[in-house]
Amino acid sequence: MNTTLILATLRQRLTSPIRLGLLALLFFMPIGAATLMYQNGLATLGDSYGLTLVLAAGLIGQDLSSGVLQLLFARPVRRSEYLINRWLAVSFGVTALSLVQAVVAVGLLGMRGHPTSAQEFMIFAGNSALIAFGTAAVVALFSSLLPGFGDLALLLVFQLVGGVLQMVGQFAARPLVSRIGTEMTGFITPRFDLTPFFAGVDPSWAAIAAYASTVTLSLALAIVVLNRRELSYASAG
Amino acid sequence: MTDAGIVVESLRKTYRRGAGGEVRALDGVSLTIAPGEIFGVIGPNGAGKTTFFGCLLGFLWPDAGSVTIDGRAPDDLAVRRVTGYLPERLVMDRWMCGLDFLEYHHALAGLPAATRHDDARAALERVGLEPAAGERPIRKYSRGMLQRLGFAQALLGHPRYLFLDEPASGVDPAGVVLFRRILADLKGGGVTVLLNSHQLEQVERVCDRVAFVSRGKVEAIETLAAGAAHARVLRVRWAAAAAAPVRATLEDAAVRAGAVLNSADGAQASFAVADDAGAARLLQSLIGAGVPVAEATPEESRLERLFLATPAGGAP
Repeated sequence: MNTTLILATLRQRLTSPIRLGLLALLFFMPIGAATLMYQNGLATLGDSYGLTLVLAAGLIGQDLSSGVLQLLFARPVRRSEYLINRWLAVSFGVTALSLVQAVVAVGLLGMRGHPTSAQEFMIFAGNSALIAFGTAAVVALFSSLLPGFGDLALLLVFQLVGGVLQMVGQFAARPLVSRIGTEMTGFITPRFDLTPFFAGVDPSWAAIAAYASTVTLSLALAIVVLNRRELSYASAG
Repeated sequence: MTDAGIVVESLRKTYRRGAGGEVRALDGVSLTIAPGEIFGVIGPNGAGKTTFFGCLLGFLWPDAGSVTIDGRAPDDLAVRRVTGYLPERLVMDRWMCGLDFLEYHHALAGLPAATRHDDARAALERVGLEPAAGERPIRKYSRGMLQRLGFAQALLGHPRYLFLDEPASGVDPAGVVLFRRILADLKGGGVTVLLNSHQLEQVERVCDRVAFVSRGKVEAIETLAAGAAHARVLRVRWAAAAAAPVRATLEDAAVRAGAVLNSADGAQASFAVADDAGAARLLQSLIGAGVPVAEATPEESRLERLFLATPAGGAP
C-alpha cells in the first residue's frame, strides 16, 4: 500500500464541491429515512453503491484528461501501483463513510427505542465494504478506458443495454439474451450477501466466485489498459 | 547503476491519424548524451521534439529503435529515481498548495520523510518562490509561479538526469536568469540535462551541445562550447562622413578586444564577440583606435545563425 497515493486520492476526491454535496446527500438522507422508518432497522440505509459511484467517478479518467499523470509517472511509481492504490483509497473511503453512517443510524434508532443487533450491524458493514470494493474495481476499469467521467457514461450504457436485453429475452422467450442482460447488469454491480454467513447457512460459492472474479478481472484489465496507454500531448489529436 | 548517460539508437515513432493517415514524428534519431552534459534540442514546431522527450521518459513507445539511460530502459524505476522532469504543458493538482505539491512529489520519489518539509521549503527557495507562496493554493499561482514550482519539483531529490521542456516559458527575466544560474550549478554538480527550448539565446548560454531537429530527424548536432569564444555577432557602423578606417585598424582593434573581424564593407563592419562584455571591450578598442563609432547593433547569435542555416530553421 502506498499511503501517499491513497491520501492524495482521497484529498483530490473530497475537494470537489459537487462531489462533496452529493456525498452529503447520500450520507444524510438515508440516515433521515432510517430514523423515520425505524422499524426496518439498518435496511433503510440501502447500500454503498451510490456513495461508491460518487467517490469513484473519474477515478483514472480524470487524471488522464487533466494531464497530471505525466508528472506522476515520471516518479518511481508503477502504473499498477497507482491504479490499485486509487481503488483502495475509494474503497476504504466508502467503507469508512458507510460505517460512520451506520454508527449514526444505530444511535438514532436506539434513541427511538429500536436497538440494532451486533449481527445486523456486522452484515450491513460487511455488505457495504464488499459493494464498495467491487463497484470501485469496475469503475476503475471503465475509467481507465475513457477520459474524464466517461466511466459513468459506460456504466449507464451497461445498465441500459443489460436492462433492454433482459426485457427482450423475456418477451421473446430467449433465455440466452436475457442471461446476457443479467450478466451485464451483474457485472457493474458486483456484490454478494453476507447474511448466510451469520445465519449459519452455507454461502453461495458461485456468488463468491462471481464477485471475486469480477473484481480481479476488472482490476487486471484496468492495469493492462493503463500500462498500454501512451502519455503525451504529442500523441493527442 | 552505471554512469553511461543517455543513448538513443535509430528511434522511430509514427502516429496513426484518422482515415489510415500516418505522421512520422521521429525518423531514425540516434544520439548519445554524456553524463554531466547539458544538451539542447531545438527545432521548429512539430519537428518531433516533444515526442522525442516522451520516448526518453518512457511515456511513448517507439515503433523501432531504443533508448537507454545508464544502460536501462527509461521507464525502469531505478532510472525514475534519478530523474527530474519539467513538462512543457505543466499540469498540477490544483487543489494542493505549493508545499503540499512538493511534499507529495518528494514522497512519490521515495525520498526520506524526515527531511520532506525542509527539502520542499529549500526547493521553493531555490527557484525564487517566497515561503508564503508555498502556503497558497496552486490554482492561485501565476503562469511564472507555476513554472518555478514545476522546476522546484523537478529538482527534488538531486536528480542525476533532468529533462526540461521549455523551462523558462512564462517566466519573468529575473526568473530566466535564476534558471540559468541553477543550470550552471547543476552542470557543476555533474547533472545531465536535456533542454528543449525555443529560446535560442538561453540554449546557447547553457548548453554544451545542441541537436537541430526537423521533420523527425536530427539534422545536425553542434558543439557550442567550442565556438563560445565568438558566439555573437556585433555590427558596427561609423560616421559616413569620416574617413573609412583601414581594415588593419579594425583587425587590430578586434584582436586587442579578443574579438574577430568577420567583414568590413563601406561604413560598417561585422565582428564576432563572446558576450556583452566582449562587445563593450570591442567598442572601447575601436573608439581608442580612432574609429568614429556611430552605431553598434547585435545581430543574430551563433545558434540563431546555425538554426537559420539548417533545414530545421527553414533554410532551403
